Amino acid sequence: MLLATSISAFTAESCGKVTIADMNWNSASVMANIDRFILQQGYGCDAELIPGDTMPTSTSMTEKGEPDIAPELWSNSTKEALDKGVAEKRLRYAGKSLADGGEEGFWVPKYLVDKDPSIATIAGVVANAKLFKNPEDPDRSAFYGCPAGWACQISAGNLFKALKLEEAGFELIDPGSGAGLSGSIARAYERRKPWFGYYWAPTAILGKYQMVKVDFGTGIDEAHYIDCISKEDCEKPRVTMYPPSPVHTVTTEDFATKAPQAYDYLTRRAFKNNQMNQLLAWMEENQADGEVAMEHFLRNYESIWTPWVSAAVAAKIKKGLSNL
Amino acid sequence: MAEASWLTKFPQMDHSQLLSIRKTLDSAYRDFSRSYGDAIEAFFDPLLYFLVWLEKLLLSSPWWAVILAVTALAYAASRSWKLSLGVVAAFLAIGYFGMWDNTMRTMSIITVCTLISIVLGIPIGILMARSDRARSVITPVLDVMQTMPAFVYLIPVVMLLGIGKIPGVIAVVIYAIPPVIRLTNLGIRLVDREVLEAAVAYGANGWQRLFGVQLPLAMPTIMAGINQTIMMALAMVVIASMIGVKGLGQPVLKSITNQYFTMGLFNGLAIVALAIIFDRVSQAYAKRSQRHMEGIKSA
Repeated sequence: MLLATSISAFTAESCGKVTIADMNWNSASVMANIDRFILQQGYGCDAELIPGDTMPTSTSMTEKGEPDIAPELWSNSTKEALDKGVAEKRLRYAGKSLADGGEEGFWVPKYLVDKDPSIATIAGVVANAKLFKNPEDPDRSAFYGCPAGWACQISAGNLFKALKLEEAGFELIDPGSGAGLSGSIARAYERRKPWFGYYWAPTAILGKYQMVKVDFGTGIDEAHYIDCISKEDCEKPRVTMYPPSPVHTVTTEDFATKAPQAYDYLTRRAFKNNQMNQLLAWMEENQADGEVAMEHFLRNYESIWTPWVSAAVAAKIKKGLSNL
Repeated sequence: MAEASWLTKFPQMDHSQLLSIRKTLDSAYRDFSRSYGDAIEAFFDPLLYFLVWLEKLLLSSPWWAVILAVTALAYAASRSWKLSLGVVAAFLAIGYFGMWDNTMRTMSIITVCTLISIVLGIPIGILMARSDRARSVITPVLDVMQTMPAFVYLIPVVMLLGIGKIPGVIAVVIYAIPPVIRLTNLGIRLVDREVLEAAVAYGANGWQRLFGVQLPLAMPTIMAGINQTIMMALAMVVIASMIGVKGLGQPVLKSITNQYFTMGLFNGLAIVALAIIFDRVSQAYAKRSQRHMEGIKSA
């Protein structure tokens, strides 16, 4: 321990400039802010946030080595590119930023299930297809899929096929963007209307609006999910629930070799889903951005973050915190 | 230190106060959408039916019939064989590269948006030209419409009306209507005062002056405004698809996130082709109407 801290004090000088991708959703943004503060205060890095999004950031990291850190990367969505980057020694998976992994699925609002418990299963949803009105086509029902171009568009589309939802009268609606999809949930929820579609957790939306994951009654067939459901050319998709989606902290190889102590922190920085949901709910409640939430987290959840760093670094961070 | 801190730091509102303002306004909007959302949706229903009908019409008509109709329109407006042949070539290329359905969807929504913009925009422009007070109120509103980032008002609209065509039309019209309003106003204001005096001397009343003198003389400027409106409507196709409008915007979004450069380029070019067709046809029409006027002048 002593040795480790003395090394960290030594390497602090050489950490240098570090760029962190600040993704445009809350959980990633709060992690980016926490990383920035801890790297700055605890490891003496000259850390800077730059705006990011899954695809552009991962591409830029493999191709250009910039930014250095992506705190929350849903690695399934760019798996091939990331694995290639790791194989070519450009990238490293530092660790899982969400220890339990992300949770994906098809969801319905809880008030629907309260009214009719059968809707919690796919058979119930299909039997009640007429409930889920499609505003642009009165003869069809609406299933809100995943926005165009996202990796989940492929998996949601394949499951849509496997569940024979089209035959059941559903139309797969492309919401176009994450904001469009969450907007459609908010609209339905505020007016207690039926809604059926793809979403994922941990997110502020699922923290704020209580939704029930529809049970396909099949359990998880992870091999089939990886081989077929997540692939665009999946010919015979079979029904399976979503396996937990790995969510990684990814860094560039440069950063990992240049600042091993800081990298070591990143390998340990991980949230459990219930911790993150709690934090996201607080952010939503207070309309807080990543920076405000970072301060709230570091001040109030010491027991979570102190194990991520050595005692000496923790002391430095606390000192930095008292200067805020 | 505390007393003089406003000298070094901007005396900003207390964080909790600001938060309570934000929360109050947000929940007020939620209440509004909860109580009036259904009624407002019902108000837009006829427009939605029309949009769906037009899209279905374009999608279910055989491709050659659509090309024939569009080419006939282009020829009627421009009387130019070259332009009409260009239209045919563009549509054949679009169809050959597998973008026919999306192009039809985009064409239907853009046509409706352009019509709405013209029908609403020209009267507002006339109003602006006739009253300085109206102009001083409308100009800043137009500035807001053109510069406010689309998602700032789109997400509230989505909460009110859901995703799909209607919020898409609203977004496109908000962005595309200002040029036709501005240029209608400008065109009418630029009409020669002496020409108007002559019209008065001949005993023309207000309506006759407007429809017989001001609007015809302002027509080239108004047509330039309509052109700009069409261009801006097409430029909004991608934004509109971000709230669930089907069409060429969706493959563009898909290619952006996945870095399918060629797919993005093809669909982008299809948008450009639509824009050029719309633009050339309306411009040719404007030129013809202008030449016709020059004929009267020199006669």
